[in-house]
Amino acid sequence: MLLYSVLAGVLFGLYFSLIGLGLNLVFGVMRIVNLAHGDFLMLGAFLAFWLFALFAVNPIPVLPIAFAVFVAVGLPLYYLLVPRLLKAKDPEMLSFILFFGLSQVIEAVTTIAFGTSERSIPGDQLGRAVAAVEGVFIGHEVENGPVEILGQTFPAAWVASGIASGCAVLLVYLYLYRTRLGYLTRAVMDNREEAVATGINVHRISALAFGIGIGLAAIAGVFAPFMLGSITPAMGGEVTVTAFAVIIIGSLGNPLGTVLGGVIYGVSYMLMQSYYSSWANLLPYVLLIAILLVRPSGLLGRQVRRA
Amino acid sequence: MVRRWFSAALMTLLTTAAALAADAPAEIKLGTLYASSGRFASISMPVHYGLKLWMERKNAEGGVYVKAFDKKIPLKLVAYDDQSSTATAATLYNQLITQDKVDILISDSGSVLTSVAVPIARDHKMFLIDQTGTGANFFTADNPYIALIADPVSSIWPKPLADFLTQDGPPLGIKRVAVLYATNDFTGTQASAVRKFIKESNSGVEIVFDQGVPTETSNYTVLLNNIRAANPDAVLHLGYAPNDIAFLRNVQDSGVKFKLLFCVYPGIETELLEKNLGSKALNYVFTYVPSSQIAYETNFGMSLKEYSAEWHKKYANAQVEFGFNSVAGYTTGLVLEKTLATATSLEQLELRRAMFSLSGNLKTLDGTFELDPTGAQIGEITPLGQLVVDDHDHLKIVTVWPHAVATGKPIYPRP
Repeated sequence: MLLYSVLAGVLFGLYFSLIGLGLNLVFGVMRIVNLAHGDFLMLGAFLAFWLFALFAVNPIPVLPIAFAVFVAVGLPLYYLLVPRLLKAKDPEMLSFILFFGLSQVIEAVTTIAFGTSERSIPGDQLGRAVAAVEGVFIGHEVENGPVEILGQTFPAAWVASGIASGCAVLLVYLYLYRTRLGYLTRAVMDNREEAVATGINVHRISALAFGIGIGLAAIAGVFAPFMLGSITPAMGGEVTVTAFAVIIIGSLGNPLGTVLGGVIYGVSYMLMQSYYSSWANLLPYVLLIAILLVRPSGLLGRQVRRA
Repeated sequence: MVRRWFSAALMTLLTTAAALAADAPAEIKLGTLYASSGRFASISMPVHYGLKLWMERKNAEGGVYVKAFDKKIPLKLVAYDDQSSTATAATLYNQLITQDKVDILISDSGSVLTSVAVPIARDHKMFLIDQTGTGANFFTADNPYIALIADPVSSIWPKPLADFLTQDGPPLGIKRVAVLYATNDFTGTQASAVRKFIKESNSGVEIVFDQGVPTETSNYTVLLNNIRAANPDAVLHLGYAPNDIAFLRNVQDSGVKFKLLFCVYPGIETELLEKNLGSKALNYVFTYVPSSQIAYETNFGMSLKEYSAEWHKKYANAQVEFGFNSVAGYTTGLVLEKTLATATSLEQLELRRAMFSLSGNLKTLDGTFELDPTGAQIGEITPLGQLVVDDHDHLKIVTVWPHAVATGKPIYPRP
C-alpha cells in the first residue's frame, strides 16, 4: 500500500509539475500571476475532447497541436494585456484582478459553447498510444491496458502523462539553459531593468515565455480528462489554486522547484488518500501554509523572493 | 321575501368575488437558484430546466390555478446563479426572501446547495420547496418549513441496496462489502444508512473497507488499490456524478476487477455517464433505478414518455442531458401546481398543509408523492438495478430488487 501510494504520488505529482511549470515560467519572467492558467488548461482539454469527439483524433498527436495553437494565442494576448499591466504601480497585485477577470470570461464562453456537463475521452485512447510505444521498445505487440512499474500496476494514461511531464520539464530546462533565447529569458527573470538596460527586447522574450506558459497549460489540459476524471468549463479555478500551491512549495520563478513541489504534493496527496482520505483535499493549503511559515521563498528559492 | 333573500345572496357573492379579484396578485413569484457552473452544474441545470419547462407550459395556458383566489395566475420565476457555491447560495436565498419577496422559495438541486437554504428558510418562516436535497438532517420534527419533493430522503435511498446485499447477497457469496463515499449530506447519509441496515440485518455480511473522501475528489487510483487489498465481494461507491465518472474511469484504466460494483449515478444520469465512459465501463454496474427509467402510472401531469419527448423537443440543443434530475424539476412543478390548487391562501404554513394533504394521493411520473411528518420524501423509492449492454450495444437497466418489481436476475460476479 505504501509503495503504491508513493509511486502513484510521483506520477500524479509529475502531472501537477507540468501544470505548474507554465504558471511558474510566466511568474518568473513577468512577475505576474496568471490566474487564468487553469482556464487555458481547460481550453486545452476541450480542444482534445473536441478533436476526439469530431474526428476521433488520439490525444497524443493533439499535444503538439495544442502547444502550437496556444503559443500562437499567447503572443498577441501578451501584447494586449501585459505591457499595460507592467506600467502600473503594483503589477503583481493588479495581475490577480486582470487575470481573474480573464478567467471568468473564458469560463463563461466555454460554458456557452460546451454546456456545463462533464466531458471526457475514453481511457484506452492514451493506453493505445502507450502500448504502441512500449511495443516499439520491446519489439513485439503489447496489449492495451495498465502498465506495471516495480510490481505495481498503474493506468497507462498516468504513465503517458508522467513521461510527457518529464519531457516538458526537460525541454523547458534545455530551452532556458541551452538556447540563446533561454539565456535572454533567464536574464529577464534575474533582473528585468538590467535586461532592458543591456538592450534585450524584454517584451519579445516575455511574450514568448507567456506563449510557452499557456502552451504548457494546454499540454497539461490534453491529459486532464485522464488525470482529473472529467473536464468542465468550471475546472480552471481549482486547478490554478493547486498549481499555485505547487509552485510556491517548490519556489516561485524556479522551474526545477516546480518539479520538486509537484512531486512532494503528489506523494503527500496519495499518502493522505491512503491513510486520512477525508482530509486529502486540505493538503495543498496545509503544505502552502507550512512552506510559507518555514521557508517563504520555497524549497529551492532564494532567501528573499524577487517581486 | 325570496326575492330579497336572493338579492342579498347575490350581493354577498359579488362582493366576495370582487374582494378576491382585488387581492389576487398579478403574478405568483417563484424564487429559486441554479448552478450554471461548478461541481453541481450537471445536477442543477436539468432540475432547473425541468422546472422552467413546467412553468412555461402553465403560463402558456394563462397561468396556474390558485384556489385562494379562484383563478389562474401567471407565474414569474426569479432565478439566480449560485455557481455551485454555498456562500453565494446563502446570500441569494436571503435576497429572494428579503428583496424579491418571492411567494414560494425553491432550493437549488442537491443536498450541498440545499443545506444552506434550510436554516435561512426556517429563520424567515418560509416554507422551503426542497427539490432534491435529500440530507436526512434537514428534516426534523421541530421544523415545519421544509418538504422534499422529487427525491426520497437519503436515509431510505440505499434500503433496497442493503436489503439485496443482506438477503440475496449471502447465497450469491457476498460476505465482504467495501464502502467508499463522498463526505457530503447526500452520500454521507447514504453511507450511514448502509452501515446501519447491514449491521441490523445480522446476515453475516460485514463491511471490510469504509472510507470517506472529499466531494471534490477526482482521482481514485490509490483508493482502488486499497479497496482491492481488503478483498471485498462488493464495492459500493457513493458519490455525485463527477465522482462516479472519475471512479469508474479509474476502475477501467487500472484494470481492477471487482465482483460487484455499485455506483449512484449510472442509473440516475445514464446519458451523461455513458457519454463520458462508454457503455463498456458501465456494463454490469449496479445502480439505483430512478423515475427516469421506470414508467410509473400517473394521475397528474405528463407520463415519462410524453415528458421525455417534450424535453428533447424543447432542449434539443441545450447541452443538458435528460435524466432523473430533469424529471425531478418537472415533478417539483407538478407538486406546486397541485398545492396551489389546494391551498386556501398563500400563507406559508397553509402551503405546507396543502402540500401534506397530497401525500400518498398524488402520483406523478416520479412515483407516489409521500411525505413523512418531518417533510422527508418517503414515497418515490429507488429500486436496485443493474446496467447491462444488450445485443444492439445499448445500455438497459434491469431491476433486481425488490423482487416484487424485479425485471431480471442479478449477474454476479461481474464477468
